[in-house]
Amino acid sequence: MTTTLTINGEAKSFDAPADMPLLWVLRDVLGMTGTQFGCGIAQCGACTVHIDGKPVRSCMLPVGAVRDRAVTTIEGVGASPVGAKVQKAWLDLEVIQCGYCQSGQIMSAAALLAATPNPDDSDIDAAMAGNICRCGTYVRIRAAIKQAASQRQS
Amino acid sequence: MSPAARRILVSVVAIVAAALAAGLWILRGPGPMAFADGPKVALADYRAADPTGVPASLAKANPVERGAYLARAADCMVCHTTQGGQEYAGGLGFKLPFGTLYSTNITPDKETGIGNYTDQDFLNAVHRGTRRDGAPLYPAMPFTSYTYMSDADALAIKAYLFSLSPVRATAPANTLPFPFNQRWAMNFWLGLFNPDTRFEPDASKSPEWNRGAYLAEALAHCGECHTPRNLAFALNSRRKFAGAVTAGWRAFNISSDKATGIGGWRDEDLVAYLAVGHADGHGTASGPMGEAVDHSFSQLAPEDIRAVVAYLRTVPPIISPDLPATLAPPAPASHRQGGGTADARGKVIFEGACVSCHGWTGESSISPFATLTGAWAVNDPGATNVAQIVISGTRRHTEGAVSMPAFGNAYSDAEIAAVANFVTARFGSKPSQITAQDIAGLRKQTSQ
Repeated sequence: MTTTLTINGEAKSFDAPADMPLLWVLRDVLGMTGTQFGCGIAQCGACTVHIDGKPVRSCMLPVGAVRDRAVTTIEGVGASPVGAKVQKAWLDLEVIQCGYCQSGQIMSAAALLAATPNPDDSDIDAAMAGNICRCGTYVRIRAAIKQAASQRQS
Repeated sequence: MSPAARRILVSVVAIVAAALAAGLWILRGPGPMAFADGPKVALADYRAADPTGVPASLAKANPVERGAYLARAADCMVCHTTQGGQEYAGGLGFKLPFGTLYSTNITPDKETGIGNYTDQDFLNAVHRGTRRDGAPLYPAMPFTSYTYMSDADALAIKAYLFSLSPVRATAPANTLPFPFNQRWAMNFWLGLFNPDTRFEPDASKSPEWNRGAYLAEALAHCGECHTPRNLAFALNSRRKFAGAVTAGWRAFNISSDKATGIGGWRDEDLVAYLAVGHADGHGTASGPMGEAVDHSFSQLAPEDIRAVVAYLRTVPPIISPDLPATLAPPAPASHRQGGGTADARGKVIFEGACVSCHGWTGESSISPFATLTGAWAVNDPGATNVAQIVISGTRRHTEGAVSMPAFGNAYSDAEIAAVANFVTARFGSKPSQITAQDIAGLRKQTSQ
């Protein structure tokens, strides 16, 4: 079945069954490997993308359920001002250690800041607790979110 | 003994016997279809479309194919198969308050299955709850429902089972303590509670209603979970379909009560719930009902689903007083607003493990199957099914269904209680107060 999705502002057409997870389409069909496979059951956050700006775990989302909503992935998030500020803060603070989870961390952080420009610790917990980092970069992730938020205001 | 004393003694014995008989009569109660008070006729005398058998599309099918459909409608496989085990080979454990019963191998293996059963042996088991060796079956096998099945349908199921490959498998021995291990004593129970009668159509009702009654009562055995049981563990049809807790899961009220039953559901919601295990605004079938949908209802013909719905509609309303009269709307989008609990662990677990699919509102961004809003489970102040779903996940198989992973091994009893209480407080009408001890109890009751 041919499906057309708007991904990072571009229309992309591909053949995939409607129940295939969006993550598989991104990585295996479209070759967009920035979004990572972690657990496959929406428990780690590595596969997070935005659907109409909201963070969604693409490993559990059937591609047929996306319909006409806009998909943003780690490859495209830097095009928005919030996404660009998050990426800059990540680089400035050298948040990343091994990096496997970090596309998901950045996607969740960008969605948080888009909805809540000045998050406090409880907002960060509520938005980020489902993104797991086995290297334990949580302290730097929290600091980078706060730095990106402060730069947003300046 | 003087004549006067003898008269008194005889009177006392007569009064006691009458009281005992009356007590048993009250305990026995009405039959499952007694609420429909039209004239009942024998199946052979019923002039409208035959309510038994298979749908029109299978009318010309051979007995094995007909039996395959009827076996699915009777949902034989779910109880006679272990998780990951060979189909119909038995061994699933039912954890009852007084021990564990194991289902039997119903493949045609001659030594460990039912390969030596004659037609009459099979009918005795399905209709009368009697094994080939004459011993009574325990009523975990729903023969008090299957007894309404026609001989032809029961034997079609036998033909189907005998078409399967025999599997050599002996179920573990039951672990019932005395006196429950005295199988012969079940004969009294059978005499009292098994009507041993075939389905009789109600001549005042439509053919569709009668088909639905046959499917719901003789095959799908809805009442075995949804009708509460009396002191003797027999179905109490005075409270037909009012809901009950069975095998550690709450089977909700499916009487026609508008607030706490299904009286307020649209026909298409009921059809969708049975056919795919989900209806928008009413939640998703999980646990034993998820299995019933996956292995039985989802494979029935559309006209059979509609017949079951037509029948359900007519079951008299009974209120579940512990359930709220109105279901909670979606929760606020921000984690800061909405219901919370004193135990902070509930929110911590929810935001780490649950929110990515269920969202802060309860309306899932992943799949309607993961939407919590509107489901009875989150509106049940007992939180039984919320806790069970957290423990066991959902494992749904119907096409289009999305399953939830099990968290029973990831969290302690206290953590599961905390997150279940958070979920009912945030997404339901009345917060639950389930405890770690309750969770430990629920873990012990699930069939496996």
